[in-house]
Amino acid sequence: MEPFVRRSHLLVSAWDEAQVDMSWQHAADAVILDLTDAVPNLEKPQARANIKAAVPVAARGGAEVFVRINKELAYADIMASAWPGLTGVVLTGAETAADVEEIAMTLAVAEKEHGIANGSLSIIVMLDSGKGVWNIRQIITASSRVCSVGLDEGRLCCHLGIVPTPAFDPFIYAKGRVIIESRAAQRQPVGISHPAGLFPHCDDAEERYRLALRSKNMGFAGVICPDSSWVEPCNRALTPSDERLEFYRETRRLFAEGIARGTAAIPYPGTTMMIDVPVDERARLTLALWERCAARDAEKRAALARLT
Amino acid sequence: MARRVRRSGLTMPINTPRFVDRSWTRNCDYLNFDFEDSVPQSQKAYARTLVAHAIAQGLKGGADITIRINCAYPEADVPAAVLPGVVHINFPKAETADQIHTLDQLITEAERVQGIRPGTVRIGANIETTLGVANSYEIASASPRIDTFSGGTGYDMSMDMGVEMFVGFDQFVYNRGEGALVAKALGLEYTGSVYLPDTSGNVGDRDLTRGRAEANRKAGLRAGGGLHPNTVEPQNVGLTPTHEEVQEVQRILAYFAQLDERGEVEGELDGHIIDKYEAARAAELLEWSALCAQKDAHKASAQARARALEA
Repeated sequence: MEPFVRRSHLLVSAWDEAQVDMSWQHAADAVILDLTDAVPNLEKPQARANIKAAVPVAARGGAEVFVRINKELAYADIMASAWPGLTGVVLTGAETAADVEEIAMTLAVAEKEHGIANGSLSIIVMLDSGKGVWNIRQIITASSRVCSVGLDEGRLCCHLGIVPTPAFDPFIYAKGRVIIESRAAQRQPVGISHPAGLFPHCDDAEERYRLALRSKNMGFAGVICPDSSWVEPCNRALTPSDERLEFYRETRRLFAEGIARGTAAIPYPGTTMMIDVPVDERARLTLALWERCAARDAEKRAALARLT
Repeated sequence: MARRVRRSGLTMPINTPRFVDRSWTRNCDYLNFDFEDSVPQSQKAYARTLVAHAIAQGLKGGADITIRINCAYPEADVPAAVLPGVVHINFPKAETADQIHTLDQLITEAERVQGIRPGTVRIGANIETTLGVANSYEIASASPRIDTFSGGTGYDMSMDMGVEMFVGFDQFVYNRGEGALVAKALGLEYTGSVYLPDTSGNVGDRDLTRGRAEANRKAGLRAGGGLHPNTVEPQNVGLTPTHEEVQEVQRILAYFAQLDERGEVEGELDGHIIDKYEAARAAELLEWSALCAQKDAHKASAQARARALEA
């Protein structure tokens, strides 16, 4: 289980002052200030110059703040972004371990020059090529800074020559690979179920929640939210529900009773479900996750309270 | 080694006498006596003393005997589990090739101590964590004793992936694909299952079990297993070719033999193209049908003897 709770990562353009100014108001667990696709090339220097002031703004509501950097402009982007208050960077386009190692070294330089604790800045890797998806294990284990990994589905479509359609998910295999490899390496998988990764516009709040819940049940632990309407459904879907809490509390109680009687195979009353060690462990972890989510939500509420 | 028939099997705590003593009456193709998750920590050592009794009970029904050991204590479990009559060690939560190397060595030593023909006891590697899925190929190729490979689903897997179990879609689709490909690539039997929607978690649902078994058979899968006695007959029936299917494949093989005599490689029978691939599929199904019949006869004979002795 990751040492952090980052259910929602709200993506905002670092060039759009209005978006940045409002980014802290949506209760996102993390805010990503985008220096890449959301910023025209000519405006990148200005956007870069804005980052130092934008980080504390984005953090007002208790969010962790990341900057999405351009791989080919990584040095400039990192040196402009790595100030106290930043949690890390989002790297798109990594295809090899060397790509990550290079970013990690640049982060180390920035930490030293800007008085940030050595090794404290993290990397979220967004894979956008067939080579990157295939090399995922080497990429995400290239540095202990890599905390999370996902797919940039739009760019991956371009790379693979896929014309996206809501009718089917072209990345069932790639998403499965991301989920398995990231969890095996103790990294957080981030992503959303189809079609939201390619067609994020959705006016139906319940549909957003349904898609976020499906993402959770695919194995994703966090979502990159393309706009603020996704934050609340993602936070809600990725937090164990009251119904699951009640079920798992009862599971733990019944299992403990069974163990006291000398058995570790206990029928769940009224069903033909069996409770054994993994079911009890699942219950324990779910209850622990709920406590961590509740603590994270309390942190964000406290941050907001400090503003008033 | 002869191909084993494992259409149905019950996993049960070896320390629960009411399950073990009636296990032979369930008509399972195999019985999986558990040292692992259904046995409390406090009873693990006691469980290791119960294998001989469990073997005797299980063999009365003509079942193959499997022991599921704990991945954390193979040194303690294997010498207790590998007794004459046991043909399979089920190794849960396999994550690395090194675990399998160690297990192989322990089984080799236990076979020597017990006077069991070397290589008799096979390994079923079960994948239940994301690390296991990631290392599937290395695990499955780590020992020639491995003859079945499966997993990537279930409660442990759901826990490691952070997903709920019964969500109405296949959250384990990647894992199933990896497992099936690795097993086929290495010539192992894939003992996983196709996905059918299940939102209840009912481990004794006869209809769901029958539907899944038939879907598995049509997908070329041959193995089953479960926790509840209700799953046994639906799997025995669902994974056995029907009389009509056997007649159909006999016609296909006869037709293909005629083609072959004429020097032709393909032809059309009842609107379907018949070629060497269809013939191979038909031959496999016919072989499987014969093996199922042999197994059923073996179990019936064993059970009849046991009932006569008890009468």
